[in-house]
Amino acid sequence: MLESILSYGLAVGAVYALIGITYNVMFSASRVFSFTAGMLGMLGGVLGALFIDKLGMNAILGFVLVLACGALLGVVTEILTVRPVLKSIEQHLYVLSTLAFALMVQQVTAIEWGTDAQPFPALIPIDPDSILAIIDQKFWLPLLACIVTIVGLEFLYRRTLIGRAFLAIAEDSYAARALGLPETGLRMASFALAGVIGAMAGFTGAQMLLAYFGNQPILSFYGFVPVALGGMGSNRGAVIGGLALGVFQQAANFLVGGIFAAVAVFAVFIVVLLLRPEGLAGAATARRV
Amino acid sequence: MSIKRRTVLTGSAAGVVSLTSSLAAPAIAQSDPIRVGYLPALTGPSSSTGVGITRGTELAVDVINKSGGINGRKLEMIVRDTQSDPTKAVNAVAELTQRQKVAAIWGPLNSGEALAATPLIARDKVPMLHPCWVDSLIDVKKYPMAFRMAPTNTQVGKGANHYVFNVLKLKKVAVVSDTTGYGTSSANTYVPMLKAMGAEVVYTNHVDAANPDLKPELLRMQSAGAQAIMPWSVNAGFLSRILNTRGAMGWDVPVVGQTTLGSGQTKALLDKPENWNKVYSNNFRNCCYVNGKLPPRAAEYVERLKKDKIEFADTLLWWVALGWDGAMMMAETLKAAGPKNTDMVAYWNNKVKGWPGIYGTVTWTPEEHNGFPDEDVVMCEVNSLKDGAFNIAPGYSS
Amino acid sequence: MTDIAATAPVRTSWLGRLEGKLSWILLGLVGLALPLLDDSYIGVIAQRAYIYWVLSAGLNLVVGYAGQIAIGWVSMLTLGAYTTAALAAGRVGPEWHPYLALAAGGLMGAVFGVIVGLPALRLRTFYFAMTTLAFSTIVTQVALAWKDVTGGGVGTPGPVFPWPFEPGWGFYYFCFILAALATWVTANIGSSRYGRALVAIRDAEVAAEASGIVKARLFTLIFLLAGALGGVAGGLFASLQSYITPEAFTFEMSVLFFIAILIGGRGSILGPALATIILTALPEFAAPLVQWSTFLYAALLLAIVLLVPGGIADMLDFKNRRPLTLHREIVPRTELLSRVLDRTDGRRAIVLRDISLHFGGVRAIDGLDLEIRSGEVHGLIGPNGSGKTTTLNVISGYYTPKTGTLQLDGADLPFDQPQVRANRRIARTFQTPRLVGAASVLENVMIGGTVHGHASFTEAMLSLPRHKRDERVLREAAMQALATVGLESLAEVRADRLQHSELRFMEIARALMLRPAFLMLDEPAAGLSAEEIRRLGDLIKAISREGVGVLLVEHHADLIFDICDRVTVLNLGKMLAAGTPNEIRSHREVVSAYLGA
Repeated sequence: MLESILSYGLAVGAVYALIGITYNVMFSASRVFSFTAGMLGMLGGVLGALFIDKLGMNAILGFVLVLACGALLGVVTEILTVRPVLKSIEQHLYVLSTLAFALMVQQVTAIEWGTDAQPFPALIPIDPDSILAIIDQKFWLPLLACIVTIVGLEFLYRRTLIGRAFLAIAEDSYAARALGLPETGLRMASFALAGVIGAMAGFTGAQMLLAYFGNQPILSFYGFVPVALGGMGSNRGAVIGGLALGVFQQAANFLVGGIFAAVAVFAVFIVVLLLRPEGLAGAATARRV
Repeated sequence: MSIKRRTVLTGSAAGVVSLTSSLAAPAIAQSDPIRVGYLPALTGPSSSTGVGITRGTELAVDVINKSGGINGRKLEMIVRDTQSDPTKAVNAVAELTQRQKVAAIWGPLNSGEALAATPLIARDKVPMLHPCWVDSLIDVKKYPMAFRMAPTNTQVGKGANHYVFNVLKLKKVAVVSDTTGYGTSSANTYVPMLKAMGAEVVYTNHVDAANPDLKPELLRMQSAGAQAIMPWSVNAGFLSRILNTRGAMGWDVPVVGQTTLGSGQTKALLDKPENWNKVYSNNFRNCCYVNGKLPPRAAEYVERLKKDKIEFADTLLWWVALGWDGAMMMAETLKAAGPKNTDMVAYWNNKVKGWPGIYGTVTWTPEEHNGFPDEDVVMCEVNSLKDGAFNIAPGYSS
Repeated sequence: MTDIAATAPVRTSWLGRLEGKLSWILLGLVGLALPLLDDSYIGVIAQRAYIYWVLSAGLNLVVGYAGQIAIGWVSMLTLGAYTTAALAAGRVGPEWHPYLALAAGGLMGAVFGVIVGLPALRLRTFYFAMTTLAFSTIVTQVALAWKDVTGGGVGTPGPVFPWPFEPGWGFYYFCFILAALATWVTANIGSSRYGRALVAIRDAEVAAEASGIVKARLFTLIFLLAGALGGVAGGLFASLQSYITPEAFTFEMSVLFFIAILIGGRGSILGPALATIILTALPEFAAPLVQWSTFLYAALLLAIVLLVPGGIADMLDFKNRRPLTLHREIVPRTELLSRVLDRTDGRRAIVLRDISLHFGGVRAIDGLDLEIRSGEVHGLIGPNGSGKTTTLNVISGYYTPKTGTLQLDGADLPFDQPQVRANRRIARTFQTPRLVGAASVLENVMIGGTVHGHASFTEAMLSLPRHKRDERVLREAAMQALATVGLESLAEVRADRLQHSELRFMEIARALMLRPAFLMLDEPAAGLSAEEIRRLGDLIKAISREGVGVLLVEHHADLIFDICDRVTVLNLGKMLAAGTPNEIRSHREVVSAYLGA
């Protein structure tokens, strides 16, 4: 029983963590929280099922195409919904523009793809007798994706020039621009990267969550919880928060049942935010006069 | 085909019919079509039922009008898509009863919309036929003009419970539902019924359908000693997870429950086809194969469908049959009693005895507007789907 | 009281509300006459639009005025609907009379409106949006689970209201009357000092704080009202639907309310009302689009946000399309100052002792002493980053220093409470003008006088005499202040159409609304022409001669030496020199380090 809670909890938690990182990558580059994070996760599953199951591509090609679509959507998000409202960021119009864009994409998916959950293929052909099959790939794939992402991001941010430029923008975009960094280009690159991470979350998690348009609001919310708890912009916080949320949710499902598990998660979210608006790990921000 | 999505605005400003007055037959020339409102959910979630039923209704209206209509007048179905949204249904009822002045209404097809629509249709005194299962939708005192063409939830549950307890002779049962309105209310109704029969309900829970992991649920059912699982949900994803988890655990327990267990979407989500073995869903005796053959009325109907090249293998026979029956009942009543509301209701109350529908045999009385016989609710083997119909489950006397 | 107010026609132009009056009368007449059509299909659509508007009218104050992104407000509809339905059906105790049950629904909405709304005080925008979403999910889940009261998934019948508002046209008029009431009440709030304060919080929060607006209190009142209206709308909704199930309260519905407000225009009442009617009716008359309706709403929202952030209201605002005179001059009339200011008796002073403040490792201020005396202009100069604005922010309560004391007339002035400065009559302007762009210049100035209002929220809501007197007095005072700084001809113009220099003078007018004893100006001459700087200098000097203590943070050395009585020079957070302009002018270190002459 414990093994079941842990395997599912960690796998789902890894998907939440990746969506949380998607939020963070976009936030670092633009100071914007975007409702498109859940949308990317939803599309990762739907597009994957479309490419591999419906169009008959092989898994690797399908995966690469899904990531490319994610990157493209990231760039479109930046150009269409973020850049035009950045100059008046204090009005928070990005909340509306990204919500509108995410809703539009979700509706098109619902109409073109259908409103029923559809299956997602097993990606890696594994001999059921081999040692790899002890744990189902649908459990370890999201975890693997999460580990790869976090290691990759660490490498990018610490070891590469472009990664340092990302960090500089995140720290102080005004100063970064003054130093001659191409702020707009870096922001677009960040959104493309976020698109890749979000789509990967949905793709690797889709054997569990299925290819379903209704995953969007669920991922938008459950992916945001780790960001809110772990502190905005903190990827480590998002991973810890995401995994903890996944396990908590599964344990609550198991112990108190469906309805109350959902209420418990939402209530904990609200209460924690009220007590510590900056998140459990975050620091209070300074004033803005 | 005289189904219109919406007719143009018909002037009613000159009329003196007030909102609550009864709707008599509109004073129009004898050759004008007789209008009947129809409220399916054709788009949005859970629209596959509506699409299937509509196919039967359209066919019936076509056949009726080709063979002379209603005593020389055409039958016109005015369709409004409710989109599974009660607010849309409320608007549509107002349009159909007040502006279109329909003689009667067929539908809504989903309980969620019917719960909101029924009191309003009753208030406007328009005769109403519907196939929704929720028990409270039929109430001779509150809704004297509403009649049901289908079984009630209680009958559906009774059918499943009967199969588990009396036919399969299993005493320890696990009941599980999703957290939707339909799921919770069904499970909450059926558990006491099972207990009353003498069965032992060893496990019961409402589970969030979005929850990807049902293994804890099934493990607890197993450790509680369940001999049968009875899931109540219309969510194919949820049901397929139960079946897949059962398969992965290698647990050979029968699953008995809602019709969606046998839907194509559930099938598509199965990890392997064997997971569909030993799964029995609700169905209706008239639309099931017994020893490889459909009952005579249904067999004749299928012949007709094939002759008219009506596609139904991609949907379910009982949906198409139900749509056909609804329109046919309307046509027959209008032929015999005319379009006046009280006449139609009188006909339904007094003249419908053992009406031989394709979907079911209907009998109404002034005291009982639920017309579907208990014994017509049966279980079927879901893995036997062929041409939109299933084999009746093993154990029934034929 | 004044000659200015008499010459300039003073009109409330809160986004063309007066122009909108005609529209309201037309809308009302159409609503009253609609039953003559005797088409109850149209009746049902209209009832739905009215009910949605009752909720949206309240939500409009939250979203449109206060700028709080409450995307899950459908939860109030759910709460109100279930409370009314459950009480009227006798699911909790004895059966309640339907009208009483409806009132209880409103009360329930009010209570939860505050509970859901108040996190807005602590949370950033996106976080708040998420908590409202989370709450609406909780409400639906509880409705599913709490079978005894809500009927669980099967639902429960809605209330049927007896005479005089029985189902049919009676109920139609009930919805109509309540929608009209909601409109009236929220329009009263919108055009009151409470409404102006909300918009100020939305667009210029620091200026709102400096004007003494207490966000917590104001938000409590607004969420109370918006929740109550949502609850009442819920009760009506339950009756219209005749039967409610948890599935009826969808996120799409929440999005509809929300989008209607933004399409209508933030800070407007008429715009959102029209948008609510259009969005409710549209799917009925464009059947082929039904499937795409949510997509179209979202597309509309995106287009509005990107292209017409002002929404319908902006399109209806014809007055502000008229071109302004090009070569405008700002001619302050210092002789009016005696009417605008209260003469300060005796000598008063703000005294800073040994103030130190760090930002991370940087010492922004390091052991600063400063004294601002009434009747004097005190100049504060220094290179960039020397701590001038930081000092001003310490005095006006935005920063808490690490050490040191701050006293007003010998009594401690609490740090970190900007909103208490207004009541102590300490006013300020900002380096970058903080304004409500969509409001008129007059309204912007009136924001400065918020603390002088006497009418309670309820009085404002019902437009009672005391509220009307408040408005008259505030408007007259604002016209006086505008005349004093030389902007009265622009009183009715949208503030975002003004030139930069005019905004600087507008900020001074807003500060004068406090009838300040102390006035702190943060680089008021930046971006002004030489002639304007001269007039500004005369104005500041005249203000100080009325007994006001002025702190002037400035880069223009000429202005400082012309009008200051005393000057303090800062460098790296420390006082480099202090004295009369003449002493400073000849201070060796200052000359070499800063004046460079």
